[in-house]
Amino acid sequence: MPSENIIERERCVTGIDGLDNILNGGIPRGNTILFTGSCGTGKTTLSLEFLVHGALADENSLFVSVTESSDKLTTNVIPYDFFEESLIKTGKLAFVDMPVIYERLGLTNVEFSLEDVDTLVRALGNLVDELSVKRLVIDSITSVCYRLKTEEKIREFILKIGKALSNRGCTSLLISEISPSADRYSLYGVEEAIADGIVLMGNYERRGDLLRTLQVVKMRGTTHSRAKYVLDLTPAGVLLVPLLKGGGGI
Amino acid sequence: MAETTSIGVAELDKSLMNGVPRGYTILVTGTPGTGVELFAKQFAAAGIGKENVTYFSTTESDEAVKNAMKEFGWKQDIRVVNIGKMYYEKVLAKNLEVSKYRQEGLKMRDIKQFNASQAEQSQDVNFLTTLTYGISKLKPPFRIVLDSLDFFLEYYDEPDVLSAIRTIKAHTHLNNGIALVTMLKGVFDNRVESGVQDIVDITIEIERLREGSEFKRNILIRKVRNHPEKTKILSCHIDEKGISAKTL
Repeated sequence: MPSENIIERERCVTGIDGLDNILNGGIPRGNTILFTGSCGTGKTTLSLEFLVHGALADENSLFVSVTESSDKLTTNVIPYDFFEESLIKTGKLAFVDMPVIYERLGLTNVEFSLEDVDTLVRALGNLVDELSVKRLVIDSITSVCYRLKTEEKIREFILKIGKALSNRGCTSLLISEISPSADRYSLYGVEEAIADGIVLMGNYERRGDLLRTLQVVKMRGTTHSRAKYVLDLTPAGVLLVPLLKGGGGI
Repeated sequence: MAETTSIGVAELDKSLMNGVPRGYTILVTGTPGTGVELFAKQFAAAGIGKENVTYFSTTESDEAVKNAMKEFGWKQDIRVVNIGKMYYEKVLAKNLEVSKYRQEGLKMRDIKQFNASQAEQSQDVNFLTTLTYGISKLKPPFRIVLDSLDFFLEYYDEPDVLSAIRTIKAHTHLNNGIALVTMLKGVFDNRVESGVQDIVDITIEIERLREGSEFKRNILIRKVRNHPEKTKILSCHIDEKGISAKTL
């Protein structure tokens, strides 16, 4: 449990009980976290919950969808017991499609230049300013990296976006897709070195069941557990139970 | 002898085959200010009443094309397909919008305004394909004017432009139509100019020379397919009725 003397930085309380406990009170505000895992591990769901809790706590939240249309995503949010449609109507929870941003900025080349990276970071900064965004999710950063191609440009993008968001007091989750067998936390290996934190999500097979797992690998600005937790997606939100204590209803 | 149709300049018709054989593609070149664009319009006017005239314009507006024809006392019953305007709407206007967002910043409202149908519209347009598709749909008897090739040579690769000219030529030939394309002289390298000249059936150049305090124009028949004996130089005169030629 968090204790007063451990907390050095202001926290962004994720609203996901188990995760806040692991992080001793939440993500240090302004941190840029890499949420990484293979498909179906619950990255998008968890990040949406992070935003919904933010919006409920009066923190404007923005979901930047790169691969999926945001219309489709909003229907995925609805099953939560604690979700209120008014959050979207009042703009507390907003969705934008990255391809529309690309289009508006004329970023039509398959490979972005360094100038394009600046343009994109500036545009995201503009949106965060305009909407006073305190929580942001980019799903997925891997899809953006496909357009950056080189390590140099990926490094530039993550550093700049991290700085731009942090300066604005915005806590951000960058969703990263990796293959289940990957021996690193991000596709290009660059993202993980730069991010303020890494949360690894995976699958774990036990007695014929495929369990979802979550592990905080790194988090600047706080002490945290590095244990593996079992993650359950329920209408009440994400539930986390330590793996060794037999989570997931086993 | 194949059926012929007028090129729009009587003396030039005489110098060719008492007109231009149907199915032919003509190239008209000249440096800026020589009267190439006017030649294109006079050629267009010569087909009115006998042929379906379609004028593909890359730089002038529809009104500008028709007004110019009106000023010389020609009829204006032609269809203008404005590639230049399409280019503005699809590319330049979008570029302007992009520069605005880049300079002034992107607002949520700008993103919300952009819906799926706009996303579809914003697909890249290949104007070369637009041109050849437009021409492939023309029903005979037709007369095509393409003013000018310069636009396409500027934005597309040379082999693609040459291939488009071949398509236009083949369609014109098969349907007994008649086509005229214009190209500025001295802008593109010799290889491109020769490439285009090689495809067309007739090449005409309008030349302007300075003689003392006056300009003197000549019409050079540079190439007539299978009739090298018909290549010659005519003097060219331009007045309120348009372009006329005289055998030297």
